[in-house]
Amino acid sequence: MGSILVNGKTQEVELPISLIDLIKKNNVEQPEMVSIQVNGEFVDRNNFDSTQINANDEVDFLYFMGGGSRC
Amino acid sequence: MLKPNGFTTRIIHTPYAREDAHHALHQPIYSNAAFDFESAEQMELAFQGRLPVHAYSRISNPTVENFELRIKQITGALNVTALSSGMAAVSNAIFMLASTGSNIIASKHLFGNTYVFFESTIKDFGIETRFCDLTNNEEVKANIDENTVAIFVETITNPQLEVVDLKSLSDTAHALNVPFIADSTLTPPNVFSAKDFGIDIEIISSTKCISGGGTSVGGLIVDYGTFNWSKSKKLASYAKRFGPYAFNYKLRREIFRNLGACLSPFAAFLQSLGLETLQLRFEKAANNCRELAEFLISLPEIKQVNYPGIKGTEFYEISEKQFGKFPGAMLTFDFSTREECFNFMNKLELIRRATNVYDNKTLILHPASTIYCDFDQEKKESLHVSDTMLRLSLGIEDIEDLKNDLIQAISKL
Repeated sequence: MGSILVNGKTQEVELPISLIDLIKKNNVEQPEMVSIQVNGEFVDRNNFDSTQINANDEVDFLYFMGGGSRC
Repeated sequence: MLKPNGFTTRIIHTPYAREDAHHALHQPIYSNAAFDFESAEQMELAFQGRLPVHAYSRISNPTVENFELRIKQITGALNVTALSSGMAAVSNAIFMLASTGSNIIASKHLFGNTYVFFESTIKDFGIETRFCDLTNNEEVKANIDENTVAIFVETITNPQLEVVDLKSLSDTAHALNVPFIADSTLTPPNVFSAKDFGIDIEIISSTKCISGGGTSVGGLIVDYGTFNWSKSKKLASYAKRFGPYAFNYKLRREIFRNLGACLSPFAAFLQSLGLETLQLRFEKAANNCRELAEFLISLPEIKQVNYPGIKGTEFYEISEKQFGKFPGAMLTFDFSTREECFNFMNKLELIRRATNVYDNKTLILHPASTIYCDFDQEKKESLHVSDTMLRLSLGIEDIEDLKNDLIQAISKL
């Protein structure tokens, strides 16, 4: 187990965890429309599977969705 | 699931952002102002942009969003924002990039209201517009400096029907780290792919063809995510955090939200419906335009016909390269005098005297006495808006009926 920051709040999770598993674990709504920053860098959607999250990483789920961006 | 490739199929089968409770085949009209939240925590996340839900319809709305997502489908844009009018799209885009001391490069060949916006409205905020010949890259380069925040162009200028080499102009803009903005209203997305010509921000008056033919007023800002916003003085700090989303972030969280020019859900419904038949209607109108241009050329009473689809004319080749077989559905033609123009307009029985373009009805207008009526003669001449010119926007009527109307009106002169 280790600590990461998700949307500004601390979470204890089994580490390392892939980004795709973190999306599932957090029940992220409309995952096809979410944009994700890890430590301030956007992660390409094609790399959600291969991106590993480690201790103290900061993850932000954001909705820019062309169309009705809610940000 | 089979992935649709065709232009119209992609529009019609754009998935809803969220499954409809009643499986409605058209996105319902959500005309409400506000949306409820299950908890204060959910509300907080929504306001931070961390939940894909709506809060208030000035900011976002499900019906408007569905229209935006459909535009995104057919343009390949990164972000799309629908606004209350084409001029709202122009003004929001400019206020996104310009501050006091900035300058913008534009042609003086612009839609009348856009010209006044650049020449007068933003001048009062200390923003200069450098009107250049955009067909001359050297002149454009000479006018760009460290305070230039955009090059703005119309893909076909209204009503001069000038067509610039968009790829060449975008190369010039990008070499000097300037965003390239194009108003493509006269060349809708079924005939013109803005992204392929290096346009960073596309402006569309959706009032025109997209709305279904003048059913409602609306505008679009189509952001392709192609410009490196770290090169923009105003957006550099946003680019650090949001990369290609920097423009959209500031637009949706500040400029669009605070200027309040949102598209109404009812207009969004109409425009979404209109979009479904855009290709069918525009191709008919553009074919009408081509045929009527040839017909007008054959009439001795007409002194001059201007339409970029006429072979051998100044903008024919570049139009074909950029817009294919359909270089717009609008033409201009000249009589000998203003009086003759007015008499002709008054004799028309089918073609309507109205100021819009790309309605389903064919519309005629005398630009010098209407859109440009506040300009003195010298200014009109400098903008190439002649007193003897009429503008004809083709609709989707049967071509023989349009020809017959023109013939009967000319016969009564």
